[in-house]
Amino acid sequence: MNRRAALIIAAAVASVALLAALILLPGGPSAPPEVGVSEQPAPTPTPPPQQRIVLLFPGGDGLLHPELRTVAVPGDPAGRARVVVTELLAGSTSGLGPVLPYPAVLEGVFVDGSGTAYVDLSPPPEPLGGSHTELLIAYGVVDSVLLNCPELSRVQLLFGGEEVATLTGHLDLSRPLPLNRAFIAPS
Amino acid sequence: MVEGLCTARTRRGVAGCWLALLLGVASLAGAQQTATVEFRYGAHAVAVPRQLGRVEVLPVLRLIGAEAVYSPAAGTYAVALGEEVVQFTLDRPTVLAKGALLEVGESPVPSPGGVAASVDFLERALLAPFGFSLQPTAGGFLIARGAAFAEPVTVRPASADFPTTTTLLLGLSRPARAEVTTDPQGLVVVRFADAQPQLDPTVSLRSPRVRAVDAAPSELRLALADEIGLISWHALDNPPRLVLELGRVFPAPSPGTPTHDRRPDQAPIVVDPGHGGDDTGAIAGGLMEKDVVLAIARRLGAILEGRGQPVRLTRDGDESRALSDRTALANRLEARAFVSLHANASTFASVRGAETYYMSLDQGATDAAAAATAETENLVEGGGGGEQTPLDLILWELAQAEVLNESARLALSVQVRLNERLGLNDRGVKQAPFVVLTGATMPAILVEVGFLSNSDEQQRLLDPAHQQSLAEAIAVGILEYLGGR
Repeated sequence: MNRRAALIIAAAVASVALLAALILLPGGPSAPPEVGVSEQPAPTPTPPPQQRIVLLFPGGDGLLHPELRTVAVPGDPAGRARVVVTELLAGSTSGLGPVLPYPAVLEGVFVDGSGTAYVDLSPPPEPLGGSHTELLIAYGVVDSVLLNCPELSRVQLLFGGEEVATLTGHLDLSRPLPLNRAFIAPS
Repeated sequence: MVEGLCTARTRRGVAGCWLALLLGVASLAGAQQTATVEFRYGAHAVAVPRQLGRVEVLPVLRLIGAEAVYSPAAGTYAVALGEEVVQFTLDRPTVLAKGALLEVGESPVPSPGGVAASVDFLERALLAPFGFSLQPTAGGFLIARGAAFAEPVTVRPASADFPTTTTLLLGLSRPARAEVTTDPQGLVVVRFADAQPQLDPTVSLRSPRVRAVDAAPSELRLALADEIGLISWHALDNPPRLVLELGRVFPAPSPGTPTHDRRPDQAPIVVDPGHGGDDTGAIAGGLMEKDVVLAIARRLGAILEGRGQPVRLTRDGDESRALSDRTALANRLEARAFVSLHANASTFASVRGAETYYMSLDQGATDAAAAATAETENLVEGGGGGEQTPLDLILWELAQAEVLNESARLALSVQVRLNERLGLNDRGVKQAPFVVLTGATMPAILVEVGFLSNSDEQQRLLDPAHQQSLAEAIAVGILEYLGGR
């Protein structure tokens, strides 16, 4: 065997070994080759369109007052609900009060197939009192989400990832709540 | 005056001239848009301003003897006449009548006289629920009631027969005011105030407890089986219908016959002082909600018992009670009413006033509960019979709507007396899904007597005289409601 034949055999053996490795190793033959293929440039993500949303904050009269805000709003209901609650927790820009009377954090939002949004908030650090406090927390969040997400019909409030029967011993929070305009100040 | 201003030659004079001309034109236009319309009811009449197609509503309501109470916080009016109550909110095209929310297409608006609305809104939303209608006249409208304008209403009877009772549903093709009585011959008479009943010829009623149904010009007559009589009835909207409960009726006991049946007025009112034990409720300035409401509850109980009305407190000390146990007690005692007392708190120190709540029924929760009830009933009855629309669902809805309607009337009665007697900031009657009202089978309300977080109200809630006044106002509201049933 001359030197040229030895090189050809060595190249053939190396090719078979490489093919076997591609088939047998995790990822198999469908694994993208790492060399010799030019990558497509990643598509530039289109930012969500700016839209006007309405947020409800409590006023000194004890009712919820609408505040309009223009923000980037995703098209899907869960994303839109997340933006609404995030903006709500950021607070009013027109001097209205906070919906949650403690520095709450949004821990998650998801939507099920029945049109119910689950909004998970950090729990209050200490007990709250009064049905008024409870009603404004609940309907400040619930009504704000539902007014901006017409695909949704109810909001289930969770605190620390769990359903609670009630926050201050009045309102039934164990079930998803529908829109209730009784606490929104008349326009 | 316009001429005088326009003769001036200065620049300011020319501007004043144009201003005066504009004012003059505006006032002329206003004069053309404002007119008066006469509403006549019997021997009395009232002329009300009409502007931009709307008339002042409150004088017309006073003319028919209705009482309108305004809740500024919610912008809501409650209109009461007899046993009927209608609620509407300024700038909203909906009306709450007979426990049902009606879409009326247009909104009443604030006006110099309180509230203005179109004549159509006035008739459909505010007069029709009380059995009135409008007839145009030369200078306005005649308010009429009774059969003068009777139009046909088609009645579709259907029944559900249970082991001891029959529920008879009379579906109506349109809303129609009716009274149901039993005549001396034992016939059940459904008398329509403003409609001529016609039986739907495509429907035939088959019930062992109903022998015949006949239509007369202004009434239906039901011949029932022997020993079967009318137990109760009520009317519902959306869709409009009458619900009659029929069952065995025993002859009245002769004088001296001992009876162990409890008279309805011996059933207690259950008064629920909110919170208790470890659950302090709201706390402000060292004052605890659980203590304040217990003091008021005891006073309320004493007042009601002094009027011959038995009372049961859900707690008479600093004790814990589960929310569900409170309503369960009222259900077990077949209470006439359930009244839960609370004192409020807000993060805003400025918020003050009293408000009264009754249950709101979330349709999802109602459907789930109704389905569960229907399933149970079907098991008891031996199967659903293959009906596409389980009657039990309808009966559940009927029962819930009736409790809701009565709770709304009780809430309004109590709130009106709180407003009148105490001059508190009226926060109105509202609906919310409160745990303690869930499952109550009798009229049930939750009264928030004031805000502990407001320094003025905190001091007043500490005052025994104010606590007594609150208890008296609530007692009057309860007793007036019960007296009007």
